[in-house]
Amino acid sequence: MDVKAAPNPTIESAQAGASGAARRRTGIIDVDVHPVPRSPDEIRARMPMPWRDRFKGERRSFFLNPVHGSRLDSMPGGGPAGSEPDLLREQLIDTYDVAHAILISRTFCNIHPDPDYGAAIASAFNEWLADTWLTEYNPDGCFKGSITVAQQDPLRAAEEIERWAEHPQMIQVTMDSGARMPFGQRFYHPIYEACERHGLPLAIHPGTEGMGINHQPTPGYPTHYVEWHCAMSFSFQAHLVSLLTEGIFERFPGLRIVLVEGGIAWLAPLMWRLDPYWKALRSEIPWVRKPPSEYLHDHVRLASQPLERPNDDRQFMQLLEMVDAERLLMFSSDYPHWDFDSPTRAFPKLPDALWQAIFRDNALAFYELEV
Amino acid sequence: MTAHIVGRASEIAPGDRKIVDVAGRSIGVFNIEGTFYALRNVCPHQGAPLCLGSVKGTAEVSRAGEYVWGREGRILRCPWHGWEFDLTTGESVFNPHRTRVRRYRVTVEDAADSARDASVETYEIAVDDDLLVLHV
Repeated sequence: MDVKAAPNPTIESAQAGASGAARRRTGIIDVDVHPVPRSPDEIRARMPMPWRDRFKGERRSFFLNPVHGSRLDSMPGGGPAGSEPDLLREQLIDTYDVAHAILISRTFCNIHPDPDYGAAIASAFNEWLADTWLTEYNPDGCFKGSITVAQQDPLRAAEEIERWAEHPQMIQVTMDSGARMPFGQRFYHPIYEACERHGLPLAIHPGTEGMGINHQPTPGYPTHYVEWHCAMSFSFQAHLVSLLTEGIFERFPGLRIVLVEGGIAWLAPLMWRLDPYWKALRSEIPWVRKPPSEYLHDHVRLASQPLERPNDDRQFMQLLEMVDAERLLMFSSDYPHWDFDSPTRAFPKLPDALWQAIFRDNALAFYELEV
Repeated sequence: MTAHIVGRASEIAPGDRKIVDVAGRSIGVFNIEGTFYALRNVCPHQGAPLCLGSVKGTAEVSRAGEYVWGREGRILRCPWHGWEFDLTTGESVFNPHRTRVRRYRVTVEDAADSARDASVETYEIAVDDDLLVLHV
């Protein structure tokens, strides 16, 4: 790819990037941040037997980034990236004046064939998040949490949602886009019913495609990490078409979904494809009572990272218009992962109203947050 | 261009680096097999502290299915997104002509002559514990 280098930063901003010393007061919302336990023991301690005995902190074992999976400067004293709240605050919250960071744990719980094991991992991570990042490390209320569910057993997942729904800092539910079947299928209804009942959005996040019991979104397994990573956006497209055609937002009119880290550029052409098909084939799915794309505004939001940025900024601005970014897009950094998007460098300069919508207002309204 | 004394050559062993602040800029000085190179400590992509990255070689452009390891000890990889730069030129590996990081000249000067202040003519000699002079 012929990547156009961004213009050189000023000395001031360069030093801010290197040292975190400078401040640009923006009060942005970052909807995808990944805190990590200092050690698997923090999770194990919150598991009942037999899971405590079994869990070794395993994550996915294939398609590991061959270079580095996280920013090398985000590993405090050699510990796991994203495991020290002080460093995360310095590198993300303070450097970019993040008013709220929405935390999504990377549990990899949905790769396991045993639904009880998957649920135990999700449950222990939720307890850990609530005990640490949402309370002990959160005196200012900056951090908001996501209730992780293992979708192998949607009834058990709904119980987990019940368990945390009233927690004041848990503001959404999350599950992985790696899956055995598209998300519109009725197997998943208990999860959607619980989200709707509690008014909690559901964030779908990638990373377990083709791992364990999950299918790859490609016709077969990809060979390389770069191929796998690029192809993860395919699963988001498949899940979205499934959600829209199966009428999930008619069955659960209060359900809201966030597509995190799945890309945005594909959205417009996918809807241009689906809407015309619906005109001819709507009788096959008669519960879809309006053009499928019309459900997006009321029910779906997209997180920005990894931002798909053409070399030509004019094309990028056209893309933002095509995907209705002013209403649907929410900024995310994916800190501390290797493909972190800097709040000040990932986007070109935007018109003020559009910047305000993407970096603040869309997320504030969607999550009903205050700053 | 002004000369700045940034340390002694012996401080940075082959394979090592030192980050210095000179004239308002953060700059990484690297020793590659006894020769010193300096690059701006800001990645041209998203502003990461580039010079804190790993220094290794790289799989050079090759025929499909072949792996050719090259430039061992010369490839600096950004600690955030992993973009690769050749320490000796400042040029990126993926697009050397358009994506590059600012490179500065480093000279090694005789410590015995070091009564000189920081705005001297420079010349290159190779004595172990001499001064490293960065030209910014």
